[in-house]
Amino acid sequence: MHKKKKYWTLCCIAAVVLSLITFTPLVIPQGVSKPMLGGVPYSLWTSFIITVALVVLTYIGTRVHPGMEEEEDKS
Amino acid sequence: MIFWVWVFGLVYAGLLVMASLKSYKKGRSAEEFMMAGSNVGLSLGVLTFAAALFSTFTFLGMPDFFRVNGVAAWIFLAVSDGAMVFFLLWFGYQIRMKVKGMEFRGVSGLIGRCYGNKWAGYVFFLAAFLFLIPYVGIQIQGIAIFMEAAFPGSLPSWGWSLGIVLIMLIYAEIGGLKAIIFSDAIQGLLLLFVIWIIGYACLSHFGGIGPMFERVGNIQEELLSSPGPQGLLTPQFLFASLIAILMIPVTQPQFTTRIVVMKSMKTMQLMAVSLGAFAILVILPTIFIGMYGVDKYQEYGRDDFFANAFLYDQPNFVAALAIIGLIAAGLSTTNAQIFALGSELRGLLKGNENSIMTKTKIGIFVFSVIAFFFSIIVIDQLVLLARVSFAGTGIMGPMILLGILSNRKVSSAIIYLSFAGLIIFLLSLGGFVPDMYFGIRLDLLLFITLGVIAVISHLAGKEHQFIREDDVKH
Repeated sequence: MHKKKKYWTLCCIAAVVLSLITFTPLVIPQGVSKPMLGGVPYSLWTSFIITVALVVLTYIGTRVHPGMEEEEDKS
Repeated sequence: MIFWVWVFGLVYAGLLVMASLKSYKKGRSAEEFMMAGSNVGLSLGVLTFAAALFSTFTFLGMPDFFRVNGVAAWIFLAVSDGAMVFFLLWFGYQIRMKVKGMEFRGVSGLIGRCYGNKWAGYVFFLAAFLFLIPYVGIQIQGIAIFMEAAFPGSLPSWGWSLGIVLIMLIYAEIGGLKAIIFSDAIQGLLLLFVIWIIGYACLSHFGGIGPMFERVGNIQEELLSSPGPQGLLTPQFLFASLIAILMIPVTQPQFTTRIVVMKSMKTMQLMAVSLGAFAILVILPTIFIGMYGVDKYQEYGRDDFFANAFLYDQPNFVAALAIIGLIAAGLSTTNAQIFALGSELRGLLKGNENSIMTKTKIGIFVFSVIAFFFSIIVIDQLVLLARVSFAGTGIMGPMILLGILSNRKVSSAIIYLSFAGLIIFLLSLGGFVPDMYFGIRLDLLLFITLGVIAVISHLAGKEHQFIREDDVKH
């Protein structure tokens, strides 16, 4: 349980950091479209990776959320 | 095309009839009618949440948004949705624990109980009403515009709108929330299928992703980066949009209800993950359609772009699928929103259950009529109006989160301050007060201010909150 709580906290921190860096010049440098990846503009491929990472984090979150077992399935 | 419209239309209508018959039960309880028996499984849960979220706004609005504002539109919706599904995991757990053991009768009822102050429910209901109705209206209008383009001269725009509203009302009356959830599932699958067929056709026009962006860069370089040619997609606009979209599961009652009616915590959590994957799959092809619009219809208005890209440039059966897909998309989302407003009204009413249900159904009818009139008069960009809707209800986010999360007796001040925030936001929309202060957007300022007030209210609250049994089961 303690371990789960730790992993869940890490997931939350990662999700917040990922969301916040999206709005920095690291992901959206104003008026800059290079370097491209496979012809895809810079802001699009970086933010695509962030979107996928957030969904993966959500999946990890379902595995480590500390309160998961507290509610029994309704039949 | 008419032949294919009839074929797909009949199949879709048949599926809707089957869904409403499957959902209809004589002598069903109000809980079964309004909350689908709170027993929704994973697949239905994902599709109903996705269909309520991705509607005409995604189907038509996002291609147009990419066409006008460029690739940073991905951040506006997809990154925000990615963050929202993670938030959903956390918030879903909190709200399900909060309502455990009590009958959930909408966010208005819940929040009124949390604060022990009925005004909390009224203020939330007012925000939901004010910001959902125009959003419903513009979706109905979106379908009407599309139908007019598909069948010119057959019916006036308001005639199509009226038809949509009537189908919506009859369908909701027969099947209740369960039927709406079934129709959402049909719409979710149809939306994904149709948007990919059209998206693929648009991508093929360029011969690949690389050539697509090369061509778009040659036409207008600014489309390939933030803030886009209109200068709209600035970091601040995108960040404020993220907060507004994060608040969707908290403040848009159709989504909160869907979280609560999921069968179990586990299914709710898996639904959040699947929804994230669904969001990526649905938004991705809208880039291709938008870029296609840049290449072929950059100088065209919104309606002409829709008609050309979705109908005239497609093979007949794809154009017919697009029409049925759009009807399905608009119908299920507007149905979900109007029905959610009915649910919220029910949570505020007191007295005999039969009389409450009658008033709720009258409420749903009245909301539909108002939405119909809005569909005739509202003129705006789909995506921007949707964003205003998310931001407007999002202002209630701090109040709702404080009520649900705090285990202390907190001051009611946040209720009145949220109401004041709502009025200020409305005044800014009407142009009566500025929408920027010290270089910061008003919606962002309101989110931050109310968020800080919520934290202070929690810290200043002392006693443990106690919900009386007779307050809970009324």
